[in-house]
Amino acid sequence: MKVTRRDLLVWSAGAAAGLMVTPVPWKLLDDISIWSQNWGWIPQPSHGPVDVKQSFCTLCPRGCGIKVRMAGGWPVGIAGSATHPVNRGALCPLAFGAHQLNWDPKRLRAVRHHGNPASWEDARAAFAKCCNEGPVVIVDGHPGRAASVVLEKFAVNRGGQYRVVDSTETDALRPYEKWSGVPASELGYDLENAQTIVSFGTPLLDGWGIPGQFTRLWAEQAAGQNDPQLRLIQVESELSRTAARAWQWVPIHAGAESALASGIARVLLEEKLVAARGPVPLMTLAEVAIQTGLSPDAIRDLTRSIMAQRPVVAVANDADPAIAALNVLLGAVGAPGGIVRRSKSSTLQVVADSVIPNARAVLLDSTVPWDFVPKTDAEVFRFAAWDAGLSKADWLLPAPGFLEDLTDIPSAPSLPVDTYAVAPNLVRAPHPVQNAAQFLASVNSSLPTVEQIIHARCDNLFRSRAGRLSGLQPTPVTSFASCQKLEEELRNGGVWMAEPLTESFRCELKQWPDPFVSSRPEGWSTSWTSGVLPPLASKLYQESNLRDARERRNA
Amino acid sequence: MSARYGMVIDLDRCTGCGACMVACAAENNVAALPQATARTGLTPMLVRKVSNGMEGGARREVFIPIMCMHCEHDTPCVRVCPQQAVEVDKATGIVMQVPQRCLGCRYCMTACPYHARYFNWWDPSWPSGMEKSLNPGVATRMRGVVEKCNLCHARLHSAKEKAAAQGKREIDLADYVPACLEACPTGAIRFGNLADPRDPVTQESHSPHAFRLLARIGTEPKVYYKSRKAWVRALAESVSGRASEAASEVKNV
Repeated sequence: MKVTRRDLLVWSAGAAAGLMVTPVPWKLLDDISIWSQNWGWIPQPSHGPVDVKQSFCTLCPRGCGIKVRMAGGWPVGIAGSATHPVNRGALCPLAFGAHQLNWDPKRLRAVRHHGNPASWEDARAAFAKCCNEGPVVIVDGHPGRAASVVLEKFAVNRGGQYRVVDSTETDALRPYEKWSGVPASELGYDLENAQTIVSFGTPLLDGWGIPGQFTRLWAEQAAGQNDPQLRLIQVESELSRTAARAWQWVPIHAGAESALASGIARVLLEEKLVAARGPVPLMTLAEVAIQTGLSPDAIRDLTRSIMAQRPVVAVANDADPAIAALNVLLGAVGAPGGIVRRSKSSTLQVVADSVIPNARAVLLDSTVPWDFVPKTDAEVFRFAAWDAGLSKADWLLPAPGFLEDLTDIPSAPSLPVDTYAVAPNLVRAPHPVQNAAQFLASVNSSLPTVEQIIHARCDNLFRSRAGRLSGLQPTPVTSFASCQKLEEELRNGGVWMAEPLTESFRCELKQWPDPFVSSRPEGWSTSWTSGVLPPLASKLYQESNLRDARERRNA
Repeated sequence: MSARYGMVIDLDRCTGCGACMVACAAENNVAALPQATARTGLTPMLVRKVSNGMEGGARREVFIPIMCMHCEHDTPCVRVCPQQAVEVDKATGIVMQVPQRCLGCRYCMTACPYHARYFNWWDPSWPSGMEKSLNPGVATRMRGVVEKCNLCHARLHSAKEKAAAQGKREIDLADYVPACLEACPTGAIRFGNLADPRDPVTQESHSPHAFRLLARIGTEPKVYYKSRKAWVRALAESVSGRASEAASEVKNV
């Protein structure tokens, strides 16, 4: 058969047309696209067995319950633990990117002395020498942990001092400690039973307390309702996120919260809206009006509005004694829906002052907020997982990062009931790290270990036969056959909760406190102890207009 | 039976915390790049703050999470894509972006009335070691492609795999939870199958307080919003990026 040029053309055209109805060209096109868009230098996720572990966020003292998705032994995702009795699955925005923090370029990877590399032995020798030469001050940012016991024991054994840095919630409870003698660390807010909350500039919906605790409560009882079961009245100079969502926003002049509290107290007493008698504020209503920018009538209306739905509690952003005194007058101290006592086990703690005189060495635990920079002549040893700069510490000692350390989680500062949890170390640090307790134990071998203290605490809980463990199914402690079982459950994400304390407490108020200048409200980004925020916080502060970069004070 | 996955976002519950934004970025392996700005960053879920346009004590603000609306009818991005890189999945109603097909022409970004599409200006990069923290269920995308919310398609796949392993044809909706929904601390975001009239989300979408953004252009978005406040509902007819200006027109509401 003779093949003509025409046959060749017809065959070629037919083959081309036929090929088009097969998947070959489309598959090739797809493969070329895939190949040309997946260059070798584009990072790819690592693979491995996927598992979900229960743990707790340790980046601030609130200790929210988290679910950690692990792949190939590394955390690849964080979500809130719905079985946690307090945060109930809710987390602050930063927690969702916390698993990337351990790889942050600011991670402290080796001991540094005045910015130069040094060894753990050098640091240990320098600290031991300081301890022999003079008193040592140890500062703890998250008191009540097993590690805190080690820090306190070391300081006491050496004749030094153990100091704590207050969270904003504990700071706001200090006036009650002064008036009642009950340690602030034993007090909490019973917001679940309150029907009106007067917040004086407190970011209740933006990082105050356990992020999920109040936001969930607000969402269930108040959000968007004209006549809600829970009235949130926000007194604040700016339209903050909490003010924007509040049932009523009361705009006042900046720093006049204390004056307004005095004004409300005066109206309460003048109009006999409360049964209690108490010292009358010296400030007249006219003076309050000038300071706050509200008219006297507006203050009277506000006071009546506050008293329309009870129980009422006022929440302060700091240790403002006038707001605390207002709570005393409102009967919100030691009563359901107010400030309640949650335990009877802690001791009075001394708050660290930023000026530390007469010390030879100051040791700052990694839980101390990064922006706490002591003014002292002593040699400063600072534990930190990240170096955000400007710490002014003589020694920077690399501490375990996120999920790298075994620690226990005592009650969060704002809680009305006692809780206890244990956060296991889920990942290994990629370089040598030590926490402050391990470091001190290497200097004084008679100190107990964190592991031993946690075990002893679990044993105490087991022996007390009180409270229950929250998990998928709440289990009374009495149901556990042995301490080991209880400890195992706690290490797997269980949370022990005490029964609410029935014992009340009282505050004696002899005179109305002096005016107080309120500090600027702080949100969750400022309560983080580490100096850095997760890289994905850029979505909030840099890649959107949602939040102002000045809100990011801590990092 | 085909589904129509959609959302109802209760704006009265949104506190503007931004947890949904961070959780979305973490789930979808979106890198945090130092050079990214509010104009060039990748934020498939973006919470915007808008006001009623008033000042002082009369000012009110609301937070609106903006994401791909998964338009049902005449989907603008699908119509303009020359590469068939965008398609509406008939089985789920999800508007899918296929990065492997995308040329990066950005017609779809221009066509999207909600400004919910983002161009990937840079190769994704993470500090050394941080790639170990990436979600293994989602591939990283190179520069030069358009990105958007795909309702956490990887999670849908996982739910399908689970259903298949149990011998079921339909997924259990409890197994398919998008990251933003999981992260929302107030439960403002609700997700469900709008094709199922018994689904609480479907019923909520018929609430008198529910609305859709730019409903008048007829694209039938599957993301609904809800608010009891009239001035917030009035925002629905403005362009999302200029919501505050539009809100000022209804400041007396």
